[in-house]
Amino acid sequence: METKMVISNLLHRPTRTIISILAVAIEVGLVMLTVGMTTGMLSETARRVEGIGADIIVQPPGASFLMGFTPAPMPIKIGDLLEEKVEHVAHVLPVLILMNVGVGVNIVFGINREQFDAVTGGFVFHSGGWFTGPDDIIVDDLYAKAGHLKVGQKLTLFSHSFRITGIVEHGKGARLFIPLQTDEELNQTQDKASIFFVKCTDPGYTDDAISGIRQFLPTYPVRSMAEYTSLYSSNNLPALNTFIEALICIALTIGFLVIFLSMYTTITERTREIGILKSLGASKSYIMSLILREAATICVLGIAAGEVGTLGARRVLQSSFPTLAVRLTPHWMVYAAVLAMGGTVLGAVYPALRAASLDPVDALAYE
Amino acid sequence: MEPIILTSDLKKIYRIGKVEVPALRGVDLVVPEGEFVAVAGPSGCGKSTLLHVLGGLTAPTSGKVLVDGNDFSAMNDADRTRFRRHKIGFVFQRFNLLPTLTARNNIAIAQHIQGNGFNPHRFQAIVEMLGIQGKLNHRPYALSGGEQQRVAIARAVICEPKILLADEPTGNLDSENSQIVLNMLRGLNRSFRQTILMITHNPDAAALADRVLRMRDGRMLLD
Repeated sequence: METKMVISNLLHRPTRTIISILAVAIEVGLVMLTVGMTTGMLSETARRVEGIGADIIVQPPGASFLMGFTPAPMPIKIGDLLEEKVEHVAHVLPVLILMNVGVGVNIVFGINREQFDAVTGGFVFHSGGWFTGPDDIIVDDLYAKAGHLKVGQKLTLFSHSFRITGIVEHGKGARLFIPLQTDEELNQTQDKASIFFVKCTDPGYTDDAISGIRQFLPTYPVRSMAEYTSLYSSNNLPALNTFIEALICIALTIGFLVIFLSMYTTITERTREIGILKSLGASKSYIMSLILREAATICVLGIAAGEVGTLGARRVLQSSFPTLAVRLTPHWMVYAAVLAMGGTVLGAVYPALRAASLDPVDALAYE
Repeated sequence: MEPIILTSDLKKIYRIGKVEVPALRGVDLVVPEGEFVAVAGPSGCGKSTLLHVLGGLTAPTSGKVLVDGNDFSAMNDADRTRFRRHKIGFVFQRFNLLPTLTARNNIAIAQHIQGNGFNPHRFQAIVEMLGIQGKLNHRPYALSGGEQQRVAIARAVICEPKILLADEPTGNLDSENSQIVLNMLRGLNRSFRQTILMITHNPDAAALADRVLRMRDGRMLLD
């Protein structure tokens, strides 16, 4: 009977019900998309770094684990030294990194073909091929798709005109690759690298190789690939966590306020009906339960709409912006639902308490 | 035999800001079980307040109120609510049906709130007696005033209350429907020995009762 009442009450005011459901859906969507885009960006970057195929990463002292935020490049000869002197080191790939802040933020790898092939096993070309000149650039398939780029087309970066020579399968560190020497010129530096990707003779020797490198470079951060990629979490980016938390708070507040307002107006409108229920002997808990059930029903429908909407939004985003990674995990789907339900219950408690404590005589006389 | 309603020096004072408004100024009332009593009097004489106090909707300010042996002056709001759920049925002038529910659910909700489950035999008997079998799937807006009041009576008596309190039950009805509703109340009283206390302005309605009590200025004129 309570379910019938809840449903009939919700259907009685369809516009308000739909707006309330939409508000909860927006709350859920905002939480899921915010978290999905930030964690997606991090995990996608980590996957790309992993895709290089190196076993060890060497960065200059004081460098952030985030590529592109490296203040002082290292002498490139360190790479040669590691290859020659450290046991179990098979190949070293020096990369000079540039940050391209154009349509989105992209890192550009300045690479040398032979060393890149030795460590990564080479690109998988969708079209075109390797650089043939200093002004050539290779882009990955997602970047090309996002910018509708084709081999032979011109691409301007850092006020420098590049010719696209190849479009490659994504997942080898960066989305844009230029010759190391060109990168050095753009960086106004020479024989420097921002990062070394080290390939061991066998992955089983990774720890031994790390120890060997640390003997040569005691002040340099030297990490295994597993350790390095594990750093790509929001926990290692305090500002990001604060940003996520702030957005979650905003979303929660929206949900809370909409449910509060919706249930409050419901109570005001239905004052007389509450009086009728009280005249029939409905207890305070019965009336509270009725209001909370109504709010919970709105919330459940809002959660469902929000989660389905977010999945749809992800598809739209990924087809419109192929380089944008949105990671929606079941964990966060549940968490967003729990947050929405929490906000709903908080928003509905006061109106429910107010309804339960209405004086039956006053309520029955309400016009 | 102990009366089902007994009040002694019953007073009810409303406070509006700092002003005290006495609605009942010492009502003495005795109603035996199974009696059909009409309470008549001018507007503002305290009839509705008396009904609200006897139905446990509001607490008395002072005096004794015994309903089916229970002293309302010693009960809190939750106790009076529980008592009302099991022992009192209300019929209002404005029908007071829940607009979003069908007639069937408007009746069934009283059983649901009472918590004793749906009694199909009782439901059928009441519905047939009130002649609303064909209207059960209609919502209140699709029913005439007379039909709405019959649904309200069905809701009030479905849980077999000890007392039926009717506040101007014919006040919003034409004479034909008024007569139908009054006959039904009379029928309930005779068939089930239902105790009824009815407030009315209508002398014809009052004449149908076993006894007519008159109120003025918060007091009973005749008992």
